[in-house]
Amino acid sequence: MIGPLRRWRVMRPQEQRSGYDVVIVGGGVHGLAIAYELAKRGVRDVAVLEKAYIGAGGSGRNTAIIRSNYRTPEGVAFYDESVRIYERLGVELGFNVLFSQHGHLTLAHTDSAVAGLRVRAEVNQLQGVDSVVVGVDEIRKLAPALDLSDRPRYPIQAALYHPPGGIIRHDAVVWGYARRAAEMGVHVHQGVEVTGIDLAAGRIAGVRTNHGSIRAGTVVNATAGWASTIAAMVGVRLPIVTHPLQALVTEPLKPFLNPVLVSATLHVYVSQTDRGELVIGAEIDPYASYSHRSTLSFMETSVAHVLELLPSVANVRVLRQWAGICDMTPDFSPIIGPVPDVPGFILDVGWGTYGFKAGPVAGRRVAELIATGQTPAVLAPFSIERFATGSLIGEKAAAAVSH
Amino acid sequence: MAERRLPEPAGSELRRDERIEFSFDGRRQVGFGGDTLASALTAQGVDVLSRSFKYHRPRGVLCATGGCPNCLVEVNSEPNVRACVTPITPGAVVRSQNAWPTLNRDVLSLTDRFDRFLPIGFYYKTFIRPRRLWPLYEAVLRRIAGLGRVDLKSRPDLHPRKRHLHADVVVVGGGRAGCLAALEAASLGSSVIIVDDGMNLGGELRTRRRIVEGDPRIAGRPGTEAAVILAGLVSAEPRIEHLGGGTAIGIYDGGLVAVAQGATFVRIRTTKVVLATGAAERPALFEANDRPGIMLASAVLRLAHLHGVRAGQRAVVVTDDDHGWRQAAELVAVGLQVAAIVDSRTEGPEGLIVEALRAADVEEIRGARVLGSQGRHRVTGLRVRTSIGTERTLATDLVVMAFRPEPVVTLAAQAGLTLAFERSIAEWIPRQGQADVIVVGRMTGLVDDSLITAGASLAGRLANGTAGHDSDVDIHQTEVAAAFAALPDRQPTAIQRGHKQFVCFCEDVTAGELAQGVREGFESLETLKRYSTVTMGPCQGKQCQGNAAQVTAAARGVSRQTTGLTTSRPPVQPVPLAVIAGPHLNPIRRTALHDRHESAGATWMDMGDWKRPLDYGDTNAEVRAVHDSVGLIDVSTLGKLDVRGRDAGEFLDWLHPSRFSDLRVGRIRYRAMTDDAGIILDDGTVARLGDDRYLVTTGTGSLDAVDQWLRWWLAASDRRVDVTNVTARFAAMNLAGPRARDVLAQLTTADVSAEGLRYLDAREFAVAGVPVVILRIGFVGELAYELHTPADRAAHLWDALVRAGAEYGIRLFGVEAQRVLRLEKQHAIIGQDTDALSDPLGAAMSWLIKSDRPDFIGKDALAELKARGLRDVLAGFEMVGTAVPAEGAAIVREGRPIGRVTSSKWSPTLGKAIGLAWLPAADAVDERHITVRMGKGREGATAQAIVRTTPFYDPDGVRVRS
Repeated sequence: MIGPLRRWRVMRPQEQRSGYDVVIVGGGVHGLAIAYELAKRGVRDVAVLEKAYIGAGGSGRNTAIIRSNYRTPEGVAFYDESVRIYERLGVELGFNVLFSQHGHLTLAHTDSAVAGLRVRAEVNQLQGVDSVVVGVDEIRKLAPALDLSDRPRYPIQAALYHPPGGIIRHDAVVWGYARRAAEMGVHVHQGVEVTGIDLAAGRIAGVRTNHGSIRAGTVVNATAGWASTIAAMVGVRLPIVTHPLQALVTEPLKPFLNPVLVSATLHVYVSQTDRGELVIGAEIDPYASYSHRSTLSFMETSVAHVLELLPSVANVRVLRQWAGICDMTPDFSPIIGPVPDVPGFILDVGWGTYGFKAGPVAGRRVAELIATGQTPAVLAPFSIERFATGSLIGEKAAAAVSH
Repeated sequence: MAERRLPEPAGSELRRDERIEFSFDGRRQVGFGGDTLASALTAQGVDVLSRSFKYHRPRGVLCATGGCPNCLVEVNSEPNVRACVTPITPGAVVRSQNAWPTLNRDVLSLTDRFDRFLPIGFYYKTFIRPRRLWPLYEAVLRRIAGLGRVDLKSRPDLHPRKRHLHADVVVVGGGRAGCLAALEAASLGSSVIIVDDGMNLGGELRTRRRIVEGDPRIAGRPGTEAAVILAGLVSAEPRIEHLGGGTAIGIYDGGLVAVAQGATFVRIRTTKVVLATGAAERPALFEANDRPGIMLASAVLRLAHLHGVRAGQRAVVVTDDDHGWRQAAELVAVGLQVAAIVDSRTEGPEGLIVEALRAADVEEIRGARVLGSQGRHRVTGLRVRTSIGTERTLATDLVVMAFRPEPVVTLAAQAGLTLAFERSIAEWIPRQGQADVIVVGRMTGLVDDSLITAGASLAGRLANGTAGHDSDVDIHQTEVAAAFAALPDRQPTAIQRGHKQFVCFCEDVTAGELAQGVREGFESLETLKRYSTVTMGPCQGKQCQGNAAQVTAAARGVSRQTTGLTTSRPPVQPVPLAVIAGPHLNPIRRTALHDRHESAGATWMDMGDWKRPLDYGDTNAEVRAVHDSVGLIDVSTLGKLDVRGRDAGEFLDWLHPSRFSDLRVGRIRYRAMTDDAGIILDDGTVARLGDDRYLVTTGTGSLDAVDQWLRWWLAASDRRVDVTNVTARFAAMNLAGPRARDVLAQLTTADVSAEGLRYLDAREFAVAGVPVVILRIGFVGELAYELHTPADRAAHLWDALVRAGAEYGIRLFGVEAQRVLRLEKQHAIIGQDTDALSDPLGAAMSWLIKSDRPDFIGKDALAELKARGLRDVLAGFEMVGTAVPAEGAAIVREGRPIGRVTSSKWSPTLGKAIGLAWLPAADAVDERHITVRMGKGREGATAQAIVRTTPFYDPDGVRVRS
């Protein structure tokens, strides 16, 4: 048992070739999942280019919450498939991604929030997703640490309980995909930054990087917060605004909180990892920025809100805060698929604050699109053309409780 | 207790006449005033303070500065308290963590013997199949995770406090360089705040007997005396404020320095920051380098000098630098017995410093390597390989690690300073001259007293702004460069083979495991950090950053320059949540009529920050009163914006799908606002009170968003418009019902007849002797007047209305009655019946859109929506039976959701359950039967309802216009 464990290789430097069939820009969960799924379909002349290290962007900075209790039937179906893939991902990749399915509680502190939860529960239940509105007694059983008294300014009235929800080891997902994809022949190049994209006769011909040029007939943009800068290299203006999203983590404690807690009223969510840390996150910062700098006001506000929920952790200590950047679209839905004016350029962007949850299913469907040349039906609503035709999608309504 | 205490003058912080008792794991312990928990326990002979995270190995004091996990204990139910920096308090109940059943006999220490089954990242590689067993494995992993325990029943009140300070200069670090820089800047007129985590200034000088050179005020004195002199000079300087016992946990953008000082959280705004965070020794790498009794030299000296504690009886000093010899001499000077010094170099120092050690009978073992430690709960011996290759075991109970201190650059890096690799010391140091941050002292990599003191006073002048790029700066920088250039490139100490060489004490990561991680492909320090969790534990890299980088470099065969450092993030030192959060402040807003509602027996509800009466005990009676006679409701929480100026009308036109510039003075128009995508943001009314003056009302919850939206658009335009939020200035009440006019007429001389004050008229006149803006509008389907009056007159007006209405049986009505009344009229509530997807076309508000005019926000989107045709629309329904469905219930067809109920109530007027729902446009036709979910689950119960697209009550609006 021990020998094989010690002979593991997760990453292996590979010689950069002068050309690939497919170049994927961005070594996060989306880029790597696309690469793996392409390899599974036999498309193995693929390179993933990551300017820093794999998982350096949103994939390594998100709060790793997985759930499918969305509000629209389309959203529920999409994320339900993602949860199912995540449940089997460890076995599929041979890499334990530590998916901790201890449930997900969305708390309601007002009448209108309770009604909002009911809407989601109804859609979820009708699609066979385990999701139910529960009262205070049930909440107390699920999360005894919560203050369910009348003390808080906005006492908790009910919650949406989603048992399959939970948290995952986000880095493990990235490494697992990278390792398996590389074993199947995909090249993963770290420290390679795309500086330009070459066109020939109006279609994609390759990329220029800080490590030389690479020919490619297909280039996939999977760069999240930087998506609009990569698209601009081929003259495509994306309807994306990049906002910072911050999080923080406490010192490790003996586990006392199993489900993920989300409060839209308090704009905060909190979970406890298998290592015992509390991970705390909030909404995106209200200003556009590419900055990864943390702010004090985020920490002060979100921590105060956590104490409204969990007063007994008052003397637990904050260990570290950090920031990531998110590519927000006007309708809080991603932009996936080809760009009509630039043949060979494929988008998998605009994932905002919910990209990690959807990585596996997006990877599978985008790979299908590239391999077959046909846009799968589930991706059709997410084309960039919707902004020209006004057919926007509607997760914005549910995005008020974004995590 | 006696033999572990050193005689005075050791123990400068100790008050030996003050005996303090506390308990540790149930045993009574004693210490002196000025002791920390760790110093008192060490003096009492307690060596083991905690068990480690993964292998449950016994751990004791390592750093004595709060910078490692080894002394984390629970104090009075507070988890993860750093015993080495926490003063003892009488009666404190201190418990060890992460050990069962006891600290000295911990069952899980068995894992230490099976470490080969738990290699780096073992949990990624195992427990994969069978998948169904993973929850069981996870439950076990979860059970053994974590350190401290949260008492769920506790409600800790730390009495946190926030302070907001301003200073020209903030100096972080109250050692020699920090004090000198502060004194210089203050003497030139700057206001200065010094932040230091010790209670007394002086930093490392306080644990040093050696003579200080450099600044004339302290030159020629032993360090301990120099520290007292500096502290005196600082306290005598009125321009300096000293935040003792405070840790600067972060430097944020905009000159914001955050300081945690006990339960007080201090936010300081400043223009210049001087960083003087010093240098720190790094733990040595050898087998079992983590046993209790193996400490940093600085820790041993702190225990001795500050707390008068003899950390061991027979010390062996381990070093790779002259620094170790100086520290050994300091140990001797303070009264410890040093048996030997083990230096990995064959070429060691000569001269005075060696003489001092020889005089104290210290054995010199040069060119030797430390192989490992022996012992169980405390070190008993140190195995070394001598320069001639023989192995020796040195008997010792105190291994003192005195490797060359490394600059402490975490705060500098976190502040955004770029670091440069200095070959002569093989360390990363901050570049000077960036972003209003000046670095001084040992964190710059310097060790020379004269250069450090010269640099410190120069920094004071730079911070004050009086030294620019003058010759002083150039000369100093030339000297500094020359000092570094004079040194040869420093070669890192070789990493040797051997098990259990701990790099990371927080997570039990060894050098071997890190090398294994590198072999698995985690070459970048950032990925290796995430894979191994090194630098991610409670110490946040304070003890492990240097060794991790060095081990990684060695494993990759590159230099530390190539591996770099991991990113530093705030807070530099962990801070309790409550201290960051500050005092518990949650505003409650009460209207000017709050007391009137209270005495009328209101049931309260929250609406945003506001408290509003939900009802006064009988909603049905309240509804009936409004329909049959007259009712009065407090609507002060409505948002009220005074919009005035030459371009006010045109500005409102731009913001809305409807037009307001053509509204006549004295008239009111309904308003709904959309965003660029045509989504409804808010609704309310616009009353034109003058040529250039409008009163705009908003929903209670949307005021802030609307206010910001208006200002956002104004900021980017040259329109001459002033927007003033007058919500709190004015109270508002709505008098509604067929007898409302009769009530009002009693209180005013103005013409309130049906012709004189028509539906949608706005007037300003006196009612009951107070000025009122009166709007003839209503949400409840009856004749109604909305009266806006200055908040301080509201109670008078309210009382007058109640008195005048008495003969008609006037009733106060609350939010619940209003909800019923408006639902009978099918009036939508924006935010309840609409959401972030609802547009005016679907919400049956298309009559609002006047698209035959110049551009307005959302014009294109609304045109596209119109062209696309209606999909879902908001429509009324009444239930076939009497059951009221839940708000949020799905409308289904063949088991699939096709819509949802947004509002539903029992109408006492109609004797029916009624509601509003979003439905496919094709179904939103009168008399259509729809199926509403009443139960839970996929096959939940359903009930039938009938679509009604016109108001249930007074569909032609005769009553509201009457």
